[in-house]
Amino acid sequence: MLKEQLQKFFKIDRRWIFLLLAITLFVPIMKPIGLPNKTISPATKRVYESIEKLPAGSFVLFSLDYDPSTRPELHPMATALLRHAFSKNLRVGVVTYIAGSTGLIEEIFAKVPKEYNKKDGVDYTILPYQPNVLAVMTQMSSDLYGIYSQDRNGNPIIDMPVMKGVKNYRDMSLVVSVTGTALLDYWVAYVGDKYGVPVAGGVTAISQPGYGPYLQTNQLKGLIGGMKGAAEYESLIKQPGKGTSGIDALNLAHLLVLALILTSNIILLFVKYF
Amino acid sequence: MKLIKKHIPLAIVMVTGVLTLVSYYVPNKLSVNYIETLSQWENIVVAFAFLLGLISLFFSHYNKISRKADGWGYSVFVFVGFLAMVLPAYLSHGKQMTDAGLTPLGWSFKFIYNALSGTMFAVLAFYIVSTAYRSFRIKSMQAFVLFVAAFILILGKVPLGQIIWDSVLGWTGQGVSDVIEWIMQVPAVAGKRGIMIGISIGAIVTSLKIIFGIEKQYMGKD
Repeated sequence: MLKEQLQKFFKIDRRWIFLLLAITLFVPIMKPIGLPNKTISPATKRVYESIEKLPAGSFVLFSLDYDPSTRPELHPMATALLRHAFSKNLRVGVVTYIAGSTGLIEEIFAKVPKEYNKKDGVDYTILPYQPNVLAVMTQMSSDLYGIYSQDRNGNPIIDMPVMKGVKNYRDMSLVVSVTGTALLDYWVAYVGDKYGVPVAGGVTAISQPGYGPYLQTNQLKGLIGGMKGAAEYESLIKQPGKGTSGIDALNLAHLLVLALILTSNIILLFVKYF
Repeated sequence: MKLIKKHIPLAIVMVTGVLTLVSYYVPNKLSVNYIETLSQWENIVVAFAFLLGLISLFFSHYNKISRKADGWGYSVFVFVGFLAMVLPAYLSHGKQMTDAGLTPLGWSFKFIYNALSGTMFAVLAFYIVSTAYRSFRIKSMQAFVLFVAAFILILGKVPLGQIIWDSVLGWTGQGVSDVIEWIMQVPAVAGKRGIMIGISIGAIVTSLKIIFGIEKQYMGKD
């Protein structure tokens, strides 16, 4: 009788689980708990150090390739990375190969450069969306002006102060790829390995384990993974943002998943052996 | 006829394939120029492919609507969505932001595309949690190992989990971050590396088969 009752739990209407998750996420989003981020992963720290050690005026290329679907994880880390770059007075170039990224890039650059008194064309430039990533990466190895002659507003970039002395990868100090796609693999294989440019990345938590081999061989200088990575980076630059506040909701959601998995397996054990 | 339909395309593939492959390893002005030209051609081809894809998409959904096929109402939204983004883009000359604030394109991006795309992805979270409960059953040794690894990773990836680990297993002297680091650096990397090597070998073999005309399926049946 009890077994039958327990077995009913296996067939629970999934809408109850949806409701439980909605409540679990809603509460911390509305009222953040503010739990401290106790540890910082070595891979995140390596990204921080890669930017930190660059002398002022170095050119860093940011490839921001994520759309609103992965925004909660990747937008905070892109924002934190750019804050770090601007605070170090680095020159910033931004490219994207995902059409859906353009609005998110505009969103960041409407806010972050003002915090550091940085100007478009002088301290940073945003290059237009390009659809064919491999062709663009290859072209940029010899002369990036062959593929990017203008910025996203149609202004010629060759005479911009931000682009002074930058012609191809050899003139770049670092490439940072923040992506919810496999583009980071391309940056490593087609740019980092071939032209010797240091490449660092930021990816979603689900993609993070796949980059372990690149990190071990130093093909990837560092990696920020998911919302926790974003929160870690925010704490490294001492500027809490959406990553830090989002981690609260993630806390409870993770624990809910664990509780559900444990519950279903305890019921399974009970049904099987008692 | 066979010459035009078979031999010439195969020859183009072989010559282009070999030249591109060689160019990767030969740092020469000639090879750089070749790759640059090819990249520009590729961009032009991709632009046409975009257009072709768009026309094909429109035809397919137009047919669905005109035949009143199952779910034809959804096809209407393909056109609605397209117009909701393309018209503002045209009106805003592709700019999303000006000194005055958001342009119509910026507005569409923020309040239509952003919201819809975010919602679609967020729905996944509900299915993942539901599936975790209904499907993650330990019925074998392999499932147990997977469970232990997943449990540690899910727990250790958030501060609250770290606090729980420290209070329950703090006496072991091993922090959950250390355990996660080991899982990620040893078994996960070993598995991923094996998969990467396998995929790469497969890709190399397939590429060589295409270059040397052994694999010809891309040419169609004729």
